[in-house]
Amino acid sequence: MSFLNPLLLIGALGIALPILAHLLNRHQVRHTDWAAMQFLNRSVRVRSRQIKLRDLLLLLMRCMALLLLVFALARPAWEKSSWFPGERRAGVVIAIDSSFSMGCGGEDGTRFDEAMKRVEIIRSKMAPGDPVTVVMLGGDQQVVLRNMAYDAKRFGEAVANLSPGPGSMDLVNEPKRLAELVADMEAPQKEVYLITDAQAADWKQPSARLREALAELNTQAGVFVVPVRSGDDNLAVTDLELVAGALRKGTTARYRATVRNFGSAPASNIAVQCRVDGVEIDRKVIPVIAPGDSETVSLFVPFHNAGATGITAEITGDPLDADNVRRTVAVVRDRVSVLCVDGSSGDAGRLVVAALMARAGGIQGEDYSARAVPWLSFPAEDLSQVDVLVFTDVPEITEGQAKQLEQFVRRGNGLVWFGGDQVKASAWNERAASAETPLLPAVIREAMTTGDALGAGKPLDADLSDHPVCLPLMSLPEDLLGEARFMRLLEVEPLPNSYPVLRLAGSGAPVLLEKALGRGQVFQFTTTAETTWNNMALTPVFPLVLQQIVTYLSGREFERPRVVGDSLTLTYAEQPDASDAVFETPSGENITVPVREVGGQFVALLENAHEAGYYTARVSVQAAGLPIAVNVDPRESQVASLDETELRTNIEALGLQVAASGDELATAIESTRTGRSAWRTFMIAALVLLLLECLLADRMLSRGRAKVDEPSSNPVPGNA
Amino acid sequence: MSEHLPEIHYLRPELLQQLGDLELIARELVEGLRVGSHRSPLKGFSTEFAHHRQYVPGDAIRNIDWRVYGRTGRYYTKLYEAETNFDCHLLIDASASMNYASGKVSKLEYAKFLAASLAYIVLKQRDSVGLSVFDTEVRAYLPPRSTMGILVHIDRLLRETKSLPKTTIAKQLNDIAMMMKRRSFVIVISDFLADVDDVIKGLGRLRHGGHNVLLMQTLDPYEIEFPFEGIWRFDGLEQEDPLITQPERIRTDYLKNFAEHREALRAGCIADHIDYTLVDTSRPLDAVLSQFFFERESTIGGGAAPERL
Repeated sequence: MSFLNPLLLIGALGIALPILAHLLNRHQVRHTDWAAMQFLNRSVRVRSRQIKLRDLLLLLMRCMALLLLVFALARPAWEKSSWFPGERRAGVVIAIDSSFSMGCGGEDGTRFDEAMKRVEIIRSKMAPGDPVTVVMLGGDQQVVLRNMAYDAKRFGEAVANLSPGPGSMDLVNEPKRLAELVADMEAPQKEVYLITDAQAADWKQPSARLREALAELNTQAGVFVVPVRSGDDNLAVTDLELVAGALRKGTTARYRATVRNFGSAPASNIAVQCRVDGVEIDRKVIPVIAPGDSETVSLFVPFHNAGATGITAEITGDPLDADNVRRTVAVVRDRVSVLCVDGSSGDAGRLVVAALMARAGGIQGEDYSARAVPWLSFPAEDLSQVDVLVFTDVPEITEGQAKQLEQFVRRGNGLVWFGGDQVKASAWNERAASAETPLLPAVIREAMTTGDALGAGKPLDADLSDHPVCLPLMSLPEDLLGEARFMRLLEVEPLPNSYPVLRLAGSGAPVLLEKALGRGQVFQFTTTAETTWNNMALTPVFPLVLQQIVTYLSGREFERPRVVGDSLTLTYAEQPDASDAVFETPSGENITVPVREVGGQFVALLENAHEAGYYTARVSVQAAGLPIAVNVDPRESQVASLDETELRTNIEALGLQVAASGDELATAIESTRTGRSAWRTFMIAALVLLLLECLLADRMLSRGRAKVDEPSSNPVPGNA
Repeated sequence: MSEHLPEIHYLRPELLQQLGDLELIARELVEGLRVGSHRSPLKGFSTEFAHHRQYVPGDAIRNIDWRVYGRTGRYYTKLYEAETNFDCHLLIDASASMNYASGKVSKLEYAKFLAASLAYIVLKQRDSVGLSVFDTEVRAYLPPRSTMGILVHIDRLLRETKSLPKTTIAKQLNDIAMMMKRRSFVIVISDFLADVDDVIKGLGRLRHGGHNVLLMQTLDPYEIEFPFEGIWRFDGLEQEDPLITQPERIRTDYLKNFAEHREALRAGCIADHIDYTLVDTSRPLDAVLSQFFFERESTIGGGAAPERL
């Protein structure tokens, strides 16, 4: 036997009260002299032993009633069957997988519909008053009902409009959260029903952490895994990214959409539609995708207007709609202007401009310009007309210029920095790498030789990072990538928040580092733009990287799509006038978020984007919005459920039960729900005993005392 | 008058102040020695004319009303009604049953206060007062005197009075009646928790002697109402066997028996022309006496006697 409110057992000490009262009134036969004895009816006599027996009986009844009352309040319960009468009660936690894979299904209904049928079976086995918790597991945990005393009507209303969300289930962490919900519950027996589509990706080989969490949960409650299934076929657009082209008005950019077949059968003739702001502008057909394979298509997006543009790649005819579309945002500029400030003899600036103009046919137009100026002319330049600054071998900058550059980047522009023989490391470190918010990603040390004995430099590490700047290099043949050789590099000490984009093969010394500053980015090469320290400028690597950097820098932070569950940030160049930012969700809800200063930057952070679609971030309610694309997590698109036999093997090894069908679930509930609550029995017994005690006491006239109406004690007035 | 009194235990100054205006009026005519405030039954030798009667031989010649003779030619003798004082005998029952007290003051103690107060009132109206205390026998007898000094004797006697178990009341009343040489006003203060016939028999002896008798049945409120609850052991003051009982269960019978006893006593008193008054010891003495005298004055004028004081 256990008690749900064991602390209330302290109330059993109250038994001392009737005992004390009994001891105090032990001599309750009161004596008096009496004159009018002849009028007393001597037939009514009370014996002393009779009084003692009666008092003892009443005392026992009182003590027993008190104990029963305390027991009832402490809510005694039996987890196993017992001879003692009690009601079969259980506290139930119903956890429903609401990840978007639960929306998968056919004409018979989705997996989520099947899950709700299982909920109905569980509901039918509950008794009014049983504590029940309903929680949706998908993205952020949504508690629909928390420890509610079961009421059929309220329960029905609460679960009537549930539907799967766009999020994915964090299976590893959910058992711990469920354990917290179970701990909040007071019931003789606790049960957790985890209704899920048991995706193979999660359940086939449960991680050690998941096993441990489930086993821990199973110690607190009986855990039932209730799988719901449907077909495994699913196609998903898993990626949509900018591959080539500048986000500039009048140009065409190439996007690459990736479609994956998660099903077990080949898919054929998959049409991929590309829409810009809802208007279809391109369509490609993938002839066939083998099971488990991915295919990519290039989608060409012409930018006719400047501004933020929503771009989607979408497929149709799939049993699961949630992952059939992929969204991204392009912020198209009217023009892109690159200024190269050259501190070298002139080669570096020329090479940079040439590299940047290489893809534009070498023609400098109104919408795209790249020019080089000597570093001594830099103070005379108007930076408001420049989007990307390239510093090549600039010896030093003044403190004022350092502040000017920081503001330039914070406003959302880009800075690319190249080293060289002219660079005065100490001056740069002092003004641009050691300030409170350093401009450069790394502190500059000495130049080091990376060439071998034969004079040949080392190539770039072929294991490229997944940084967008590396995308064009990935399509380069390895021998072409290896043509770029580096004989000398600046030894650097990367600062926190910097990211190495390119590394040297072998030593892993960083060649290119990136750092975010405000709404802009800074790239720092540890080598030169000219050919004194390397031959990069003479290889395809140089124009590819430089152009990609300019594309990347002339873009905006919102162009990077987010996944459901990610945080959305709106970064300010300087302290804003309004203290709050507004995020409009795809469903039209406005969420106000305070602007906070974090690390010298002003940021509005919306935690946990829980919808898929285009969010709109505004610095205030009236301000123009900046779209942010939020997509579903493609990992959840692996909808194939684990085979029932394998699931049983995996689950039952942890001591959990599997109820694969509705009948099996009903039977499992009946056979395992043995917990009994006996508080009502104790309460009734206590009340009956109290009633009996009152009747008996009243009958025996044991409670009364002689009236205390003392007569006037002194016959003489005024002589009290 | 009270300022000249020596210190008397049963007559406190504040009580005397309350009793100052009270006057005990005998219901019937009493025989007196001196001029008092009461009519004497002895006519013919006083100053206040009462009525005429026809002359008979042997009547004093000086009492013949010659004016009537002049008008009528017949002899009539004038009879006079004399104002006289009366003797008041206070009889206190000091039996053990009078020792009961539900509060601080027992019935006996209350009776002593009552007797002293009545004595003072009688003396104040220039009448004589005497005191007798009886239980199993007549313990003390103080003949009536009209001087204030007798109060000291009464007080001492009351102080010395202790309760003892009694036997019968009739014998004691008879003995006291034998001691009284003159028709008097007799006030018997007792709880009368004895056989009614025995009590009436004793009182009848007093009435037979021509005494004017007043019964003051002094009872404790608990005896009247019997308010006990719970389990009680009753120890008889008259050496009866103790009884452990539940008073709630016997209350109805008790009250019925008690009422019957009082009613029988009251009926016996009425039959013998004896005044009856019930005194509740829970009430202040001054209030009891004030009401008693008020009611008595009313009843002499034709009103009914009070049921309970």
